[in-house]
Amino acid sequence: MSNAYLSIEDQPDRLVVNVKGQWVFDEVLALEQATATVTPKAGQFVTFQCAGLEEIDIAGAWVLYDRSEQLSQMGIKSEMTGFKAAHFKFLQNIIDTAAIRDYEEPLKTPERPNVLRETFERVGQATATHIEDLGEIAKSILDGVRKPSLMMVGETIKQVYTTGVQAIPVVMVITFLIGIVTAHQAAGQLEKFGAMVLVVDLVSISITREMGVLLAAIMVAGRSGSAFAAALGVMKLNEEVDAMRVLGLNPNQMLVIPRILGLVIALPILTIFADIAGLAGGALIAVGTLGISSLQFVERVAYSTDLVDFYVGLSKAPVFALLIAMVGTLRGMQVKSSAEELGLKTTQAVVQSIFLIIVADALFAFLFTRMGI
Amino acid sequence: METIISVENLVNRFGNQLVHDRLCLDVHRDEILGVVGGSGSGKSVLMRSILGLQKPKSGTITVLGQKIKYHQPGPSRCWGVLFQGGALLSGLTVQENVELPIALHSDMPVETRHELASLKLLMTGLSLSVADKYPSELSGGMRKRVSLARALALEPRILFLDEPTAGLDPIAATEFDELITYLHDNLDLTIMMITHDVDSLFGICDRIAVLVDGGVVVGSVDEVLEFDHPWIKSYFGVPRTQRARRSAGKS
Repeated sequence: MSNAYLSIEDQPDRLVVNVKGQWVFDEVLALEQATATVTPKAGQFVTFQCAGLEEIDIAGAWVLYDRSEQLSQMGIKSEMTGFKAAHFKFLQNIIDTAAIRDYEEPLKTPERPNVLRETFERVGQATATHIEDLGEIAKSILDGVRKPSLMMVGETIKQVYTTGVQAIPVVMVITFLIGIVTAHQAAGQLEKFGAMVLVVDLVSISITREMGVLLAAIMVAGRSGSAFAAALGVMKLNEEVDAMRVLGLNPNQMLVIPRILGLVIALPILTIFADIAGLAGGALIAVGTLGISSLQFVERVAYSTDLVDFYVGLSKAPVFALLIAMVGTLRGMQVKSSAEELGLKTTQAVVQSIFLIIVADALFAFLFTRMGI
Repeated sequence: METIISVENLVNRFGNQLVHDRLCLDVHRDEILGVVGGSGSGKSVLMRSILGLQKPKSGTITVLGQKIKYHQPGPSRCWGVLFQGGALLSGLTVQENVELPIALHSDMPVETRHELASLKLLMTGLSLSVADKYPSELSGGMRKRVSLARALALEPRILFLDEPTAGLDPIAATEFDELITYLHDNLDLTIMMITHDVDSLFGICDRIAVLVDGGVVVGSVDEVLEFDHPWIKSYFGVPRTQRARRSAGKS
């Protein structure tokens, strides 16, 4: 038989395979199929006659070598002859490399993993490192309070600006829209009871106690939590953090504390803006479509909503800010080696801070109800 | 002599800075061309232009008869690149990094691909125990070897090396030079190599291209030295280069 790569002469005691044509990378699939047709009978000696070879590279030479190895495993002897020097060196290369491979220790088969044990170990280790990291941050905060540096103050102000002031427009727009939606939905239900004016109570209480601060916090978690993790992560990858340590600067003080402080200052401010925008959204619907006069609206807000409600909402802001900033900076500082890890940690920062915000909010609700506020 | 890469009248300009001023350069088949030049002389820009990663102001670049266009697929089957930092994909293991180009450019079965990738790793002097590791777990020298294995994955005819021995200790650098010479002799490679390592320059390069004043001076060491230019005079005149040249001459 014969094809573009080889022709086979079947003699009584030997099989002569004339290797010819292009034995190169692009032809590997066809070459493998072709060599698979070299099927000598038991006791036959195989000669690969390679004088007709036009071109060969490592991939092609490997296919040839691989087939002769397979044959020898089946107990069939083979030889390769007639190479041009320029072609033979590729085969030689493979023979050399294969020799190195034989000397290599066989890869150890990994032990069957003990899932339960590994899970506990992982959880334990993660808890330990988190506690360690948090402890280090807490210590840095104390140091910072004892010996505040001017650089920290400047950095904190910068953080208040980027995480707070710059976020005001977007936070106001979304709470305004949520105010509109709440009022609209409430109107549909309360109309049935002829208690349209209660729309104002509902909007003003829900916005000040819950929605304002929650929306602002979630927005900031997406906006700044990710920014913290990414910025610190890249600094870690660039060895900037290491450089700071070598220079005698505490990276926690220089990078982490200003971000935490900045956000703790910024989020309450954002919450106030969020409350105002949410009420404005409610007012737009109440006055615009529900026939409640603006004076009536203001009166009703003053009647239904205490300053306490406003403080309840506002008091949660620093706690949420602390959660966002801690998670974001912690995750950023945990980046060690790769770009992949940076993406993972940034995602974790956002997801976990939003998760923690909502858990904390639930705890607050429980606590305030118990306290009767 | 067959010309593999031909750069004609290449002009590159960044703002006011004219990096390449009608630069012409031919790279011949089966040679190792060492590219040197002061910092900012446009060594990397030249290589990036040839690879189609940089848009030149004007000029034509032909590789293996194919014209190179900016960000267009070039003859990527025919060239391999060793970037300075290795540029391994950090999300893939060593084995996957080497297999990736093969998977992209061929329809061969998975086992064959696997075998060829292992072969390339062994050929660059790596042990197969690194195959399952991620690039971040490797040392700088190993990363370069993996990157070289990836560059060789598609049986290229041209190899571009950007400072292959930078950041390696003398033992590793010497081994890397030997590896490059071995691969050059055994795989019919044409190699263009940016280097600051004077030992590799005198030890393994057939010709030297010196980038000065937006142009290029090419030739053997003696030919380049005949060219009267202060930078070339001082580059080849400093004791460090002299020593390397003497020791290369001895061996």
